[in-house]
Amino acid sequence: MILLEIGNRVIFDTLKSKFALTKPDSVRVTAIDFDGVQYNICNPENMEKSIIEVHARMGIFKDLKEHGVEDVLKREYGEYLVHAQDGYDVTLKFDLNQLPEDPEAKEAIALKASLLKRNCFASVFEKYFQIQEDREKGDGEEAAVPMAIVNYHEEEAMYISAETDRVTVIFSTVFKDPDDVVIGKVFLQEFKDARKAHQQAPQVLFSYGEKPRELQNVENVLSGENVGFVTFVLFPRHTHAANRENTINLIHQFRTYLHYHIKCSKAYLHQRMRSKTSTFLKVLNRAKPEEDKKFVKRG
Amino acid sequence: MAATLKPYLNAVRHTLEAAMCLENFYSQRVERHLKPEVEMRSSKEVLFAPLEICRNDREKVLIEGSINSLRMSIAIKQADEIEKILCHKFMRFMMMRAENFFILRRKPLEGYDISFLITNYHTEQMYKHKLIDFIMEFMTEIDKEISEMKLCLNGRGRVCAVEYLKMFSPTVEWNVSEE
Repeated sequence: MILLEIGNRVIFDTLKSKFALTKPDSVRVTAIDFDGVQYNICNPENMEKSIIEVHARMGIFKDLKEHGVEDVLKREYGEYLVHAQDGYDVTLKFDLNQLPEDPEAKEAIALKASLLKRNCFASVFEKYFQIQEDREKGDGEEAAVPMAIVNYHEEEAMYISAETDRVTVIFSTVFKDPDDVVIGKVFLQEFKDARKAHQQAPQVLFSYGEKPRELQNVENVLSGENVGFVTFVLFPRHTHAANRENTINLIHQFRTYLHYHIKCSKAYLHQRMRSKTSTFLKVLNRAKPEEDKKFVKRG
Repeated sequence: MAATLKPYLNAVRHTLEAAMCLENFYSQRVERHLKPEVEMRSSKEVLFAPLEICRNDREKVLIEGSINSLRMSIAIKQADEIEKILCHKFMRFMMMRAENFFILRRKPLEGYDISFLITNYHTEQMYKHKLIDFIMEFMTEIDKEISEMKLCLNGRGRVCAVEYLKMFSPTVEWNVSEE
């Protein structure tokens, strides 16, 4: 499993199974997702079993508000989006009696709900992709649009800026373990080199410790030995309308993808070391003389 | 480079064979105690001259002998950062399981990556030539294992990067060249 799933599997499975039931059942599921997002799927306070509410709480929501996340959510979820409950940022409400009959349509709705986090991120990306497209055509405003800063993880942030011919996304990420830094370097070097073989890929640059040139004027940027900066340069072929959805799916999960693979590599190395150690032990045990069987009972 | 490996291993093997003549020897300092003299280093007359066999400036073996024990420390070749952390992880993994290994020392000597301590008890319980075989095999296998792990890591990185970046252009045909 190399690529990560885009939607949240818990939400999808829960909603799919609840939608498929003929008799409504009570539901109470709490789930979490990457980047500090928490979900709560439950029945409303009056315990009506036929209504299912999906609540989500995410730290980045307040950062995304200025980038029009609420408009995007309204566009995606339409009638299912309701005013967020206290303590949560987004609430979706599904009335089982009013859902379309077709099971495939029900599954599609469940799928859309599982993409809640992705759609929130999509808002800021879409805004900047649109700015770049407008500028390319020449309709855009002349003034520079400020860089978007999204603190999607504790201490880590994403910086997005758009120019005429490209959109630059810079991730800052912290490696808690010093070994991760070295393994991360290997991976990021491969990302950088992949472009030589395949010109269509976005350009990836990375640096450790110091912030890249583009962030020179930004404050509160992390620095240190174990901080890495990865810059993605997305060209119009990645950001134009046909490819936009796909690009957003991939790029909002990049940090998770990288750390997931670093952890998997460490687990694999551990497994190799374990098997090698047991091989050594076998060789060593050959050094022991076999015990004499002094008494062999026959009959 | 490979040409130096065989003479290096031969030298180590012969030195070990010579040094591994261990016999029971009660401590001269404390009555009725028995300690590995190479660790204690209390009396000069029971210690043998330490011998360092260097393949190059980074790979070397230090063999210190005494009358009842032998200590062998290995410095493993670590060409770059990734080999350094792989070696470090692997040695730490093994040293944590030193009890199972009998002859492994829990901490390596200063300047080396791993140390073995062989006492007369070990030579009484296990065949001497097999012990030496084990150590020689250990030395050859470690280098191989570290290079393999490094290759796997690089290969994995390449596959991850290509798969991820491939997804950005779903319609274009990609030919992944095997390097």
